Amino acid sequence: MVGLAIDAVDEHGEDAVLDVEVPSNRPDCLSHVGIAREVTVIERGQLRLPAGEKPKTEGRSSDLTSVEIADPDLCPRYAGRLVRGVKIGPSPDWLVKRLEAIGQRPINNVADVTNYVLHELGQPLHAFDFEKLGGRRIVVRRAAPGEKLTTLDGVERTLTNDMLVIADAEKAVALAGIMGGEESEISNQTTDVLIESAYFDPNSVRQTARKLGMDTEASRRFERGADRDGVLRAQQRCIDLICELAGGVATEDAIDVYPKPLGERVVELRPERVSGLTSLSVETDEIVRILTGLGFERTGGSERRMTFRVPSWRIDVEQEEDLVEEVARHTGYDKIGSELPPSSMSGEYQPSEMQQRSLRRALNACGFDEAINFSFIQQESRFDLIPSLAGHEGDQPQLENPIIEDAAWMRSTLLPGLLGSVRHNLNHGIRDVRLFEIGRIFSISKAGELPDETLALGIVATGGVLEEDKAQAERDLDFFDLKGALEAGIDWMNFAPLSFTPTSSRHLRVGQSALISSSDGKQLGTIGRLAENVAASYKFRQPVYVMELDLNALLSGPAKVIQYSPLPKYPSVMRDISLLVDRTVSLAEIFAVVNKQQVAECRSVKLVGTFEGGSIPASKRSVTLRLEYRSDERTLRDEEVEESHSRLTSALLETFAAEQR
Amino acid sequence: MTDQSPQAQIETINKAFEQDFERFFPYIKNPTALGLEQALAEQRAVGELRTRHLGKKSALAAAKKLIGRVAVDERARFGQQVQSTEERLGNLLHDVEFSLHNYIENERTARESIDVTLPGRRPRSGHRHPITLLRERLEDIFVSLGYAIEDGREIETDFYNFTALNIPENHPACGKADTFYTTDGFALRSQTSTVQIHAMQRRGVPVRMIAPGRVFRRDTPDPTHNPMFFQVEGLCVDRGITMAHLKGTVGELLRQMFGADTVTRFRPSYFPFTEPSAEFDFNCFKCKGSGCRICKNSGWIELGGCGMVHPNVLRVVGVDPQQYSGFAFGFGIDRMCGLMYELDDIRLLFENDVRFLEKFE
Repeated sequence: MVGLAIDAVDEHGEDAVLDVEVPSNRPDCLSHVGIAREVTVIERGQLRLPAGEKPKTEGRSSDLTSVEIADPDLCPRYAGRLVRGVKIGPSPDWLVKRLEAIGQRPINNVADVTNYVLHELGQPLHAFDFEKLGGRRIVVRRAAPGEKLTTLDGVERTLTNDMLVIADAEKAVALAGIMGGEESEISNQTTDVLIESAYFDPNSVRQTARKLGMDTEASRRFERGADRDGVLRAQQRCIDLICELAGGVATEDAIDVYPKPLGERVVELRPERVSGLTSLSVETDEIVRILTGLGFERTGGSERRMTFRVPSWRIDVEQEEDLVEEVARHTGYDKIGSELPPSSMSGEYQPSEMQQRSLRRALNACGFDEAINFSFIQQESRFDLIPSLAGHEGDQPQLENPIIEDAAWMRSTLLPGLLGSVRHNLNHGIRDVRLFEIGRIFSISKAGELPDETLALGIVATGGVLEEDKAQAERDLDFFDLKGALEAGIDWMNFAPLSFTPTSSRHLRVGQSALISSSDGKQLGTIGRLAENVAASYKFRQPVYVMELDLNALLSGPAKVIQYSPLPKYPSVMRDISLLVDRTVSLAEIFAVVNKQQVAECRSVKLVGTFEGGSIPASKRSVTLRLEYRSDERTLRDEEVEESHSRLTSALLETFAAEQR
Repeated sequence: MTDQSPQAQIETINKAFEQDFERFFPYIKNPTALGLEQALAEQRAVGELRTRHLGKKSALAAAKKLIGRVAVDERARFGQQVQSTEERLGNLLHDVEFSLHNYIENERTARESIDVTLPGRRPRSGHRHPITLLRERLEDIFVSLGYAIEDGREIETDFYNFTALNIPENHPACGKADTFYTTDGFALRSQTSTVQIHAMQRRGVPVRMIAPGRVFRRDTPDPTHNPMFFQVEGLCVDRGITMAHLKGTVGELLRQMFGADTVTRFRPSYFPFTEPSAEFDFNCFKCKGSGCRICKNSGWIELGGCGMVHPNVLRVVGVDPQQYSGFAFGFGIDRMCGLMYELDDIRLLFENDVRFLEKFE
């Protein structure tokens, strides 16, 4: 439990192969020595590094070849060294077995050694057939635009100017840090080899590999960061093994081009910081043991302020907290206690959370299920049919890199998503669908600035008014079911009732659409039956009702205030009146006329019902109202009620040219 | 009448009654052949019979009035006869009335009996989305622990999404392969950790907050991935905060969500915005550690990442890491949802299939 999870242990002959999960900041553990170092600290052992016979050497590399780095930003270090007179052949059994155990395919003794050392030490290496290098020299440079290179996998690759290559005097011979070229590959005729050990810029390797769709043992290590100071150590190990297994004579030294060597990193660690961050109290001796075992070198400092030199392979360690983690993970996270922090604050919800919870529950009570759709939507033709709730037309933020084809627009209305959900349900044979969604919609208010994010509420309904545990609805949903659900939500949220006025909107059917405004007059959104052309584009064959409003605007409005008034002392008299009016006359207008008369005794007017059809002419509608008359001073006499009622009646009949039924 | 002798009058009364009553007599024993409608008619007929023979205008009533006028020596006897006749008629009528009444009540009760197993009358209820169910529970838990619920933008600048979180500019996560960008160059937030920065900038320290919300990553939808999902980020910064507090808090959260006997485990890990960093697991709530499909036979379920807030992150918001320390944690609500309800395909979460949504709450 030091942060290197063993995913699997597989038997391979007499060996056990461990499959280790290595965090992305620990490329040093992408090697056997790296893992062994961690194990020695766990097991309190000593790390023994692999060592071989020192080979025969002869001649200086610089007399035989040259290395030039044209772009030191992408290649901060490159070391080349030769082994001459090798005999290419198959690797010995032990090497073949080891490579096969970790899933590597043996090729020949020289190639296998480079591969072996890569896994042993974590440093990728490459062997060139020296004879095949034009001009017998190495140039590390960017590829020329359109330059071609056939890599070891036999694929001809066309390169771009941002890719780094290893070239000879004439052409590219390898893709730096990723894969060698076919032409300079080691063959059975090869006698002289040039061993490359280098450090390439992680970003450059990552970008090139990704662009070319390549992922190799080498690129994986360079991308995460190799050990800049381990370049020569790995090259030496590689050359020792080549000379041992393939014969040959190495040059005395490497041509090591390393224009800007890294300075040493020294990090301070206070033992109290370990306990301060982790609550673990670790003895100073134990801290030193863990860090030394991991390759850190104590350079001095007092007991309370120790200093450590960071080993070159630990590219992840920069400051004290990084050392705290080293100590903590090797002491064991399981040794850390567990307690709640002392509390000094009271919790708080988002300001509108309780209202949103009420809204959700109200809509649930009205039979609506909560939906969640993706925030990005397709720009299909029907999307143009539904106007944005947020911002102006064409102001939706667009995605540069969508993942679902065409879903490249941040939604500026919730309706396309909800209508897509309705279609999904209808396609699956579910005819009765009531959904709502609370989510953000987006619009660009000013180019180059962050888009506006607005919380919106969307509701859709189609099919029948279902009852629980019953297979069939008694009747189909209509406009008023949707309106009622919205009103219930508003009521549960403790807002004053909304007002609805006829409107036209291109996604709503004429004559069944309304503008929704808050009690303080803000326009919030629209409600209505989906227009035929929009419904047709979704292939809906039954009426669909939709509502969308700006929830931010609603939530910022005034909440309803509870105002108590005493219960009436004297009885009320109820009078009903039925009016035959034009269908164009709205209930709101009728109520307005009643209120305008300011009849003090008339305490309330409510709708009893409306009636159309039957004996009523097609252009007319019968509206029945119930009026309540009451006084706070005394019981009203019949004549008084009659007088008030006839005043109201004649006002209504006159205003609307109505008949009384 | 008056010309009949009192004795004869009694006889006449009795005879007349016998005649009228004859067809009703069997009902006393057995009215069942009647059926409800006929029984109701007969009940009315019996009522008429009572009026006719015992009512104010009946012969018996007339006979009663006669008692005082009968010769003294016959008066007592006559009186007795009238009384016993009245009693006999009354009893017979009562018996048949009682019988009919019972029969009618029984018939009615039988007819009006209901099937109490029919469904109760109620409109269909809707359901909250499972993500909402979990989010509300999580918010309740953390508010009770003294945390504020925070929210931030879904479209962010690189500064909040990466830089301030100590994620270097060239980190693979910042690439266009992993993170969505708008054509204006803004990122769809790839983690709710962005809210840490906003919250510390606005509230200062000490601070305790969680931020549930939508995040976006460029994953192609498959049974275990969606390009959009929900995450919760938690942050606690104060003087003297340690990893023990982090463990205590994560442990408390998991116990409240998965049961009081839940055991939490920390494993070292790496995140750019925490140091030291850990991943947290808990023992499988389903098999209790013996191994099952949910925990892939390991006995443990991996849920999220956490650690001590990286000093670079604290410095970005002007907090001195020598004075203050803090922990942060994050995990996916979708993943928690998938575990809790054993979802086989998390794409279902955003398809809004009514049959799926109905399964929750």
